[in-house]
Amino acid sequence: MVDGAAAIARGALDAGCNFYAGYPITPASGILAHMLRELPKVGGIGFQGEDEISSIGHCIGAASAGATVFTATSGPGLSLYSENIGLAIMMEIPLVIAISQRLGPSTGAATASAQGDIQFMRWCTSGGYPVIVLAPTNIPESYHLTKRAFKLAKRFRNPVFIATDKDTVMTTESVPVDEMINAPDWPEIPTEPVGKPLDPYQINGTIHHYTGSSHTEEGYITKDPDIIAQFNERLKNKIESHIDEISLVKADLQEGADTLIISYGVSARSMEAVVIQLRSQGEKVSALTVYSLWPIPEKKIQDCLRGIKRIIIPEMNHGQYRHEIERLVNRDIELIGVNRVDTILITPEEIMETYHG
Amino acid sequence: MSEVLTSIKKKSNGEVITKLSPKEYKGKVDPDWCPGCGDFGLLNGVRKACAELGIPPHKILITSGIGCSSNFPGYFNAYGMHTLHGRPVPVATGVKLANHELTVIAVGGDGDGYGIGGNHFLHTARRNVNINYFVMNNQIYGLTTGQISPTSNFGTKTKSTPFGSIELPINPITTAIMAGATFVARAYTGDSKHMVEIIKQAILHNGFSHVDVFSPCVTYNKVNTHNFFKQRTVHLEDVDHDPTDWKAACEKAMVWDDEIYIGLFWQNKERKTLEDLDPVLDEGGPMAFRSLGLSKDKTQKLIHKMM
Ligand SMILES: Cc1ncc(C[n+]2csc(CCOP(=O)(O)OP(=O)(O)O)c2C)c(N)n1
Ligand code: SF4
Ligand SMILES: [Mg+2]
Repeated sequence: MVDGAAAIARGALDAGCNFYAGYPITPASGILAHMLRELPKVGGIGFQGEDEISSIGHCIGAASAGATVFTATSGPGLSLYSENIGLAIMMEIPLVIAISQRLGPSTGAATASAQGDIQFMRWCTSGGYPVIVLAPTNIPESYHLTKRAFKLAKRFRNPVFIATDKDTVMTTESVPVDEMINAPDWPEIPTEPVGKPLDPYQINGTIHHYTGSSHTEEGYITKDPDIIAQFNERLKNKIESHIDEISLVKADLQEGADTLIISYGVSARSMEAVVIQLRSQGEKVSALTVYSLWPIPEKKIQDCLRGIKRIIIPEMNHGQYRHEIERLVNRDIELIGVNRVDTILITPEEIMETYHG
Repeated sequence: MSEVLTSIKKKSNGEVITKLSPKEYKGKVDPDWCPGCGDFGLLNGVRKACAELGIPPHKILITSGIGCSSNFPGYFNAYGMHTLHGRPVPVATGVKLANHELTVIAVGGDGDGYGIGGNHFLHTARRNVNINYFVMNNQIYGLTTGQISPTSNFGTKTKSTPFGSIELPINPITTAIMAGATFVARAYTGDSKHMVEIIKQAILHNGFSHVDVFSPCVTYNKVNTHNFFKQRTVHLEDVDHDPTDWKAACEKAMVWDDEIYIGLFWQNKERKTLEDLDPVLDEGGPMAFRSLGLSKDKTQKLIHKMM
C-alpha cells in the first residue's frame, strides 16, 4: 500500500536527491513529510522554509553547490516559485519540482482535484523559457517518472516539473510490486550534460559567477545584443533540439480506429478504462497517454493520427492541452474536450458518452 | 592564486599562514557605480577583511539580490551568485547547507533586504545559519532611481513620496536582535578601518552575522550623505558598550540624533548554529560531495539523535 507522495519521494531518493526545501500545502505536504523524514537517513538535508520563495531559493543555492535537489508544491506555491524558476533557468541550475495540482488560489475547493496548472507550469516565468514537464498517471509511474525527471534536470541543467494531482498524491492504493521495481521500457536519458557541466564551487576550482540576467559564458552581465541573443537562443534550443529524446508517450493504437483519445495524468486512467470497455464492445479506438507534456511531443502525437477523424481529450481544466493539440492537427479532424472543473474526477462513463456523441 | 600577490609565511610550529592581498579579490569587471557611491567602500572593505583573514577566493561564495549594491559579486573575485530582488539570503542558506566549508556572504541593499526580502531576513536570523549578511543601507532605492525605502526617514521626499513619507522607518538593528540574530553590527563605509574590523568579526562569528552598513547614495539621497554620517557616527567601542547586553544594544540602536552609534551592538556566542544542530552536518565534509547513504555507525548515531 502506497500513495503517490511516497512513490514520488522514493523516486527522488533513489535518484540521488540529498536536499529538499518546501512549504506545506495540501495536496503536496505528503511529499514534504516523506522527504524530511527520509533525507537524514541517507545523509541528506531537508527542511521547511518560511515560505515558498525561500524554499526554492534554498534549493537553488544548494543545487549550485552540487546538491541534488527536489521540492514540491501546488498552484499557489508555484506562483511564489515562479520568479526563482526563471532564475534557475537563467543560471542553468538543475531543479526537480513536483506540482500537485488543485483548483485555483485560496483554500476549500482549492484543495480538491484538478489539472489546472498545465499551462501555468509551462509559462510561469517571465521570458517564456522552455521547461520540461512530465505527468505520471498512476503510482508506479510517479516513481519512475520522478527518477527520470532527475536525469533530465541534470542533463539539461534546467528545472523539470512532475505534474501530478491531488488524487494521485493523496490516494493510497495497493500496487503490484513488480511495477514499482521494474522500470518501464522507456528510452534511457544519457548521463552527460548537454552543455557545460555544473561546477560546484570546488576548492581550487575555477572562479565563476551566476546571474539571473543575460550573461557571458563566464557569468558576467552583458548588454551586448549579440551575446544576449545567443544566450537566449541557446537556452531555448538546448531543450527544443532534444525534443525527441525528451518526448515520452504511450501509444495504444488500434488498426482501423477513427477515434483517438488523448489524455494525461489522472484523467488518463479513465481513458484507459474506457478503451478497454469500448474494445470489449467491438469498437475500434486508439489511445495516447502523454507523459512528457512539455515540450509538446509533436511528432509522437502526429504519428498517431493516421486514419483519425476525431480526437477526444479528457482533462480536468477548460482545455489547456486541447488547445495545444489543435495547433498540431489538420482542421478536418474534429477535436472534442471532456472537461471538468468542479473537483470531481472525469469518469469513464463521461468519456464513453462523448465517444458515442 | 597568483604568486605575486600572495605571501606565505611559516609560523614557528610549522603552520602555514597565507597572507593575501586585497587585490586578489578584484573582479574581472570594474564597478559602474556613481563616483563617490558608498558601495565602493564595502567592496574594498570586504576585500581587505578576506585578505587579512587569509580566506582564498575559491573558499568564498557571495550572493546578492538586485539593486545598485547587488552588483557587488561581479566586482569581487570569488564564487558569486547575483540572484533576484530580495532573495540573496535564502540562496546563501542553501549553499551553506550543501557546502558548510565555504565562507558564505550575502549582500544587497536596504530595499532588497528589509523590504522585499524582509521575511527571509527575520527567519534566517532566527535559524542562525552561519552566514554573513552585509546590507548596503543608503535609505533609498538607488537602481530604480530614487524611491522611498524601508529605512528612509519620516518625511523623506522621493519620486514615490512626492509629499514626504508618512511611514516610520524599520530599525534593522533592533529587528535583527529581536529576530534572533547572534551577531548584529552597524558600520559606515566612510570609516573604513572600523568597518573592516566589524566585517572580520562578523565572518569569524559562528552564526548569522548581520551588518547594516551606511553606504550613502550620492545621487538620490541628499540628506543621509557622507557629511551627515561623518558628523554623527560614534564608535560603540568608545562608549563602553557591552555587546552581550541586548537591552543596552536596543537602546543604543534606537538613537538617531546628533550621535548615531556604529560598531558591534549584540553578539551571542553561546547559541548553536543550524549546522551545529543538523543531524548530518556535525561531522564530515560538504554534504553535497558525500556519497549518498550512511555507515551503520552513523545511522545508529543519527537515529539516536533524532529520537
Ligand atoms: C521582483 C522585483 N521587483 C522590483 C524590481 C525592481 N527593483 C530593482 S532594484 C530595486 C530596489 C533597489 O533598492 P535597494 O535594494 O535599496 O538597492 P540600491 O539600488 O539602493 O543599492 C527595485 C525595486 C525587481 N528587480 N524585481
Ligand atoms: S545611484 Fe546611488 S546607490 Fe546607485 S550607484 Fe549611484 S550612488 Fe550608488
Ligand atoms: Mg538602497
